[in-house]
Amino acid sequence: MSNDTTPERAQTAHTDRAAAAPLAKAALSTRSLGVTIVRVAIIGGFFLLWEIASGRWIEPFLISSPSRIFTSLISGFREGDLLQHTWVTFEEIAIGFPVGAISGIALGYAFGRSRVLAEIFEPIIVALNGIPRTAVAPLFIVWLGIGLWSKVGVVFLLTFFLNFFNTYTGMRQMDQEYVDLASLMGVKGWKLTFKVIFPAISPYVFTGIRTSIPFAVIGAIVGEFVAATEGVGFFIRMSAGIFKTADVFVGIIVLMIMVIIMDKIAEMIERRALRWQTQTEHVRIQG
Amino acid sequence: MAETATVARTDGQRSGDLVIRVDQVHKYFRTPSDEAIGALQDISLDVPYGEFVTVVGPSGCGKSTLLKLVAGFFAPSSGRILYQGEEVRGLNTKVGYVPQESKLFPWLTVEENVGFGLDSKRYSRQDRERQVSQFISLAGLAGFEKYYPSQLSGGMSKRASIVRALAYEPPVILMDEPFGPLDAQTRMVLQDELLKIWEQKRQTIVFVTHDLVEAVALADRVVVMTHRPGKIKDIINVPMARPRNIFEIHRQEGFNDAYGRLWNIFRHELNIGAH
Repeated sequence: MSNDTTPERAQTAHTDRAAAAPLAKAALSTRSLGVTIVRVAIIGGFFLLWEIASGRWIEPFLISSPSRIFTSLISGFREGDLLQHTWVTFEEIAIGFPVGAISGIALGYAFGRSRVLAEIFEPIIVALNGIPRTAVAPLFIVWLGIGLWSKVGVVFLLTFFLNFFNTYTGMRQMDQEYVDLASLMGVKGWKLTFKVIFPAISPYVFTGIRTSIPFAVIGAIVGEFVAATEGVGFFIRMSAGIFKTADVFVGIIVLMIMVIIMDKIAEMIERRALRWQTQTEHVRIQG
Repeated sequence: MAETATVARTDGQRSGDLVIRVDQVHKYFRTPSDEAIGALQDISLDVPYGEFVTVVGPSGCGKSTLLKLVAGFFAPSSGRILYQGEEVRGLNTKVGYVPQESKLFPWLTVEENVGFGLDSKRYSRQDRERQVSQFISLAGLAGFEKYYPSQLSGGMSKRASIVRALAYEPPVILMDEPFGPLDAQTRMVLQDELLKIWEQKRQTIVFVTHDLVEAVALADRVVVMTHRPGKIKDIINVPMARPRNIFEIHRQEGFNDAYGRLWNIFRHELNIGAH
């Protein structure tokens, strides 16, 4: 049946898209250049204003200044123990986050598969979720000591619920027909799980992972605020205590960079895993 | 049907033997307010190997329900369904199913979708690749192997969806209004292609549609169903020669006769519906 009476093939969107591509590309690059200029101007203006205000209108120990922060950042890594603090915080996240994410995803999946499990445990999970999780941090210190593991525990707790709820939502939203079709084709067991169910819910899973990244960092910092002898959270609290405001900002910047790097990595993996999705941009409403 | 009788089945069954037997099947559904709604009432239908059966009826008459019962998606309320002589219990993994919407797995490429049902135990890697590329070209999708479903047009997805069900060679293919949402032209092209594939493979096809022309044009037999609860009103033989020319089906001998009989039944049915 490979005949040439297939009129709709000529109508695929690709031909139109290919013709319009160079034009659109040119328009896009002008646009993105404009966007970049405005963005840089806003950020630059903000820092300039900050630099000027510091010492003239506002006490430097309150807001420090970009130049002071930059110097502290460099010297903190060169001479001080900032690298060590960063490493400690990273370690807490590097253990707590993947364990929390994977167990959240696994439990969300299990709840989606088993109605009985969901019926029994759902109210319990919802109730537990109602607890302000950072309030539990002191308990973790009591249980697990002031070292690494108490922070890992808090990171775990914050990561777990977000991943659980997103995965579970994905399982409930999933199109039953995909599973039915695959089962009809004789697919079951691990192949059904990893070739059908997980791909089908993967957009939800990735949403869970990516929203939980900043919370994992929050968990580590909260844990370190409560009781610690090292870590970026400890560094921030200690610096604030002796009014080294510049160092407080240095700590904040380190955390921000940490979150950005983790998010970028997650984004890269997500892009690869979800490359089958049509990339939808902003919704356009005309008229 | 005379020529199908001579076609040797790959799996050793002769045509003329029954592959599906629907035996006095009733099906009720429960509404959320716990009322029973009759979907199918006393359906009995025998389908021999190699036959192309279409099921036609007004929307909501339970045509799709009948297909889903044969596929084992759910069980009949009473009566039984035999498949190759055995009662269907649970999913019937020996049938292929083409749903209303294409429902290709969006995360798999065309190639991976078509090869999805090819069990690694039954097919070696080479067999698998050969089978996949054969069916992809049969569907006129050569060159689109690495495309994702979101990159295909409606007609292309439909074809991919059909060969996905054909590729692992189940003896029976169940099709649930597969051409429903397509435009008239694409529809005809696909009907033509479906018949060409079927001429080669001669699998048993049960094809649900609400389009009377389509029902007659494709079928050896047309099963006519009534309004809910769906009953079988009549079964019409379509003794038209094959291969058929879909594009000039009206001129083919026997079409007008079969269509006329079908329309007569339907006209009656519509009058009832108007009350």
